Amino acid sequence: MSEYILEIKHVSKYFHGLVAINDLSMKVKKGQIYGIIGPNGAGKTTLFNCITGIYTPEEGQILWKGKEIKGTTPFKIAELGILRTFQTIRLFAEMSVAENIMSGRHIKSKQKWYNGIIHTPAYYKDEKENWEKVGELMAFFNLSEYATTPAGDLSYGIQRRIEMARALAAEPELLILDEPAAGLNENETLELTQTIRKIQAMGVTVMMIEHDMEMVMSLTEYITVINFGAKISAGLPAFVQDDPVVVEAYIGSDEEDEHE
Amino acid sequence: MMNKTSLIALALLVFMGFYPLFVDSAWLAVGTTFLVFSVVAFSQDIILGRAGVFHMGHAMFFGMGAYTTAILNVHFGWPILATWAPSVLIPMAFAFVLAGPIIHLRGDYLLVATIGFNIIFIQVLENDVFGLTGGPNGIFGIDIVRLFGIEFASQTYMYYMAFILLGIALFIMRNLDKSKFGRAMFYINKDEIAAQSMGISIRYYKLYAFIVGAGIAGAAGSMFSVQYSAVSPEAFNVTQSIMFFTIVLVGGSASLPGVLIGTFIMFVLPEVFREFETARYLVFGLAMILTMILRPRGIWPVKFGDIPSYLKKGVK
Repeated sequence: MSEYILEIKHVSKYFHGLVAINDLSMKVKKGQIYGIIGPNGAGKTTLFNCITGIYTPEEGQILWKGKEIKGTTPFKIAELGILRTFQTIRLFAEMSVAENIMSGRHIKSKQKWYNGIIHTPAYYKDEKENWEKVGELMAFFNLSEYATTPAGDLSYGIQRRIEMARALAAEPELLILDEPAAGLNENETLELTQTIRKIQAMGVTVMMIEHDMEMVMSLTEYITVINFGAKISAGLPAFVQDDPVVVEAYIGSDEEDEHE
Repeated sequence: MMNKTSLIALALLVFMGFYPLFVDSAWLAVGTTFLVFSVVAFSQDIILGRAGVFHMGHAMFFGMGAYTTAILNVHFGWPILATWAPSVLIPMAFAFVLAGPIIHLRGDYLLVATIGFNIIFIQVLENDVFGLTGGPNGIFGIDIVRLFGIEFASQTYMYYMAFILLGIALFIMRNLDKSKFGRAMFYINKDEIAAQSMGISIRYYKLYAFIVGAGIAGAAGSMFSVQYSAVSPEAFNVTQSIMFFTIVLVGGSASLPGVLIGTFIMFVLPEVFREFETARYLVFGLAMILTMILRPRGIWPVKFGDIPSYLKKGVK
């Protein structure tokens, strides 16, 4: 098997004839923190939606550990070990923080079909293990005090933490973060940076879209820059930062554009 | 440790347990039907309140259970006890076959499709298919439950049988809510995209809800047919489906006390105000409208956050 856990090969995605992603290729190494940057509307989130099965690209291949996963339904992608967060936070707002994180345990839970009707000793063991894991994650993300609070009642920064805890609860191999620092203050961003390092230390590969350049440059090991759906630059953070093509793409764009 | 809800539940249980001692036969029958309808409403709530599927044909599964018992007993001479299993399994099988092709439809489209199924079901009953369903008049002369030479014929027996059935239904609902399956339904209901991204198969869990819901409704149907010793199509038509749908929304989706309150308001109160005849329905129409405006999540809304106590230790 190759050293790359995820390979994107010449992927194109169209919406009503318009190109959202154009012949995009990239390779993510196991254990890496991989950054994707680019102006708003460049197709970054569309790429994540293609990887996680929400969209099926018209052209190209998406290889997960060497196997094609293009066109696989989202829930099966998650079962493969690819978990994500959302740019616009998508929590189960009325449900408690603990219950939100418990959703990440879904694919790890070994309950049988009849356990929805009748409980068995194996059910109680499984249920306890999963709730304990939720407890560990709440402790890791400093969420324990909000265990019973509806997720929708909490601040933006806390909601972002819940989303990451939820994705991590599924014990992913690849964690995809869509603008994790958006809406966070300086302290929260610093905390997030440390958290992502800890996640990497657990052996999880991380792919992230982020606009906070300071964070991206300090955290990621490899960056791909996208503009108008196509790759315009790629390399180590130091290289990308000084690439004239990248500088031009950013100056020539409006930061406040609507996201896709 | 008893909280307020458990105390109310206990008081209600005691009241319901002794209810037959205080009432005449007409009110006893109302009580029995209330119990049976509560079971149907709970099963509707699995599909509508938990999985969030806008299913407006639930009287069909209720009717399938009722007609299964009626047909097997009257036409084939099966004892009532022997018809219980098929009256649960046949609606489940139909739920699987019928819901399968429509389960991917979005709320309003699916709602229309389920109404369509319900209408076809009534047509089948009224046309006396294979000479089994008895046409518009239905089937008469359904036997009583007999076990070890005891004949469970009186309305009091009927009441307690329905009481036990409700207990079983509540037991299942509680188990469902505390399992991966119940939670998956809630996640799908609240946000399908997020649920899928957590590895939850939307199709699987919506179908699961349909099949379990149909099975419970079928059991209630079997009880219903024995209580009245007859079945006829109008008890299972779209109007009835609308009633079960409304019970859930008015009482409170996915809320066990809510659904009981909903059944009480939608079924028992009209019986209480019978002397006002059709004028009472004006009040109910208004009550439904006002509930939706003032309490859009129902009279007794569901409360989340029922997590193991050791996880609540850090809560301030």
